[in-house]
Amino acid sequence: MLADLKELWRFRELLWAMVERELRIRYKNSALGFLWSLLNPLVTVAVMWMVFTFIMGSNTDNYSAYILAAYLPFLFFNMSLMDSSQSVLVSLQVVKKVYFPREILPIASVISNFIHFVLALGVFFVFLLGVWVMNGFGISPFTWKLLVLPLLLVPFLALVMGFSLMLSALNVFYEDVKYILSVVLYLLFFVSPVMYFSETVKASASKFANGDLIYTVYHLNPISTWITAFRKVLVPEGKIEVIQNGVAVKVGPDPFNYPMVAVACLTSFGMLVFGYWLFNRMKWRFVERP
Amino acid sequence: MKTGNALTIRGLRKTFTLSHSGSASLKTALLWWKKKKVEKLEVLRGLDLDVRHGECVALVGRNGAGKSTLLSLISKIYKPTSGEIVVDGRIAPLLELGAGFHPDLTGLENILYNGMILGLTRKEVNARMQAIVDFAELQSHIDSPVRAYSSGMMARLGFSIAAHVDADILIVDEVLAVGDYAFEKKCYDYIDEFRNGGGTILFVSHNADAVRRVADRVVWLAGGEVRMDGDVEEVLGEYLAAGENR
Repeated sequence: MLADLKELWRFRELLWAMVERELRIRYKNSALGFLWSLLNPLVTVAVMWMVFTFIMGSNTDNYSAYILAAYLPFLFFNMSLMDSSQSVLVSLQVVKKVYFPREILPIASVISNFIHFVLALGVFFVFLLGVWVMNGFGISPFTWKLLVLPLLLVPFLALVMGFSLMLSALNVFYEDVKYILSVVLYLLFFVSPVMYFSETVKASASKFANGDLIYTVYHLNPISTWITAFRKVLVPEGKIEVIQNGVAVKVGPDPFNYPMVAVACLTSFGMLVFGYWLFNRMKWRFVERP
Repeated sequence: MKTGNALTIRGLRKTFTLSHSGSASLKTALLWWKKKKVEKLEVLRGLDLDVRHGECVALVGRNGAGKSTLLSLISKIYKPTSGEIVVDGRIAPLLELGAGFHPDLTGLENILYNGMILGLTRKEVNARMQAIVDFAELQSHIDSPVRAYSSGMMARLGFSIAAHVDADILIVDEVLAVGDYAFEKKCYDYIDEFRNGGGTILFVSHNADAVRRVADRVVWLAGGEVRMDGDVEEVLGEYLAAGENR
């Protein structure tokens, strides 16, 4: 595995060129270019916000900011996996004719999606600023907590990279992977606290005798933990409306859950190592695919 | 000029697993799981070959003799089942011209990515950019997307990039018969120049004239082994005679 890493380092210039190429190709033939990748989350969040505040009458502070802060990382996860799972297969003709470290293909997919994610986070701050100004300069959303952001981005990237390497390798041999993946990602959207909150889950779980256990198990899904962590860091604290014993009450947001984030860190880096190992085990057989 | 062996191949074996299902899917994997009676195809069976620096070796043999597999193994596309390949120098594989082109990118952009895939740095590609465009004779089309190119233009650009990576060893798989007559002549001129500069060439061709034109040694592959190895006329004569008598 060390030899593979060394080889990858030798080809780092090609990796950057591939990232650049992905970014270029994606918007080559569209007039709005990069705006498309921003339009998608903004429209989705606007719809969710309208449904929850106006139709279902939820009364959570900063609701739109909360959803956006969760939806952007989720979308990064989603898009990276969809793109990278296809990355080796669509380039199979090149892979059959020229040598270069094959892992460059999924890695370039993930990095180009990561660049989008970081740019979208930039737009998110503009959005926060807008909300802050419209609310008449209440509590400033820009706090020291934002300094923690890179510490969340790195392990989250590791998680995405690990899954991407694994899926891109498997998809060469089992093309069902992409169909299974789209179903799983769809379910994951509902299983993870994007539209709702970890506090909501806690309140609902407390109805059961072993509610604490349910809550802990729920957070073993690293996406749940990361999304909640992103929320805590990105959005100024606000009260969240949950249902307790059939009555809607507003509770203060839970504090940053350090032990859970530590577990998610382990899972994420573990996934990276596993994905890279699996990819390297399978990569020489890509060209011999049946 | 380098001396010694450019390529040293010892006991090279390559076995492929044949699939009868013909597709890659979970269903296939499950269906064929019990009947794991996979058929093996031995393409190369313990091949030994030495190519010295500055030599131009032609590989001949019938379809399925293992010529293309050998070239792919040397280009690091496949991993050998067993045996070893030692390469001294930089390889430029010409297994398919323009294999790495992306149809939506312009000629210039494709030169950059293709050059880098072949192992050049960004700086090196940029330094050679003009020479590559001139050689390919694509001046007015270089800024249009490659999908608008004719197959001849694509092949010219592919050859031109490979010709400018400053390789020590050219690996050519029947790709010289592309483009018009004038470009073909240009390719042969380039190959002569490449050889005069001490470059090594290993190429596959079914065209006896092409072999006589460039090669100074012919290796005849049959059934995954070297049948005959030596002087151009001698080996070529035997090979062609065997073809007529079969």
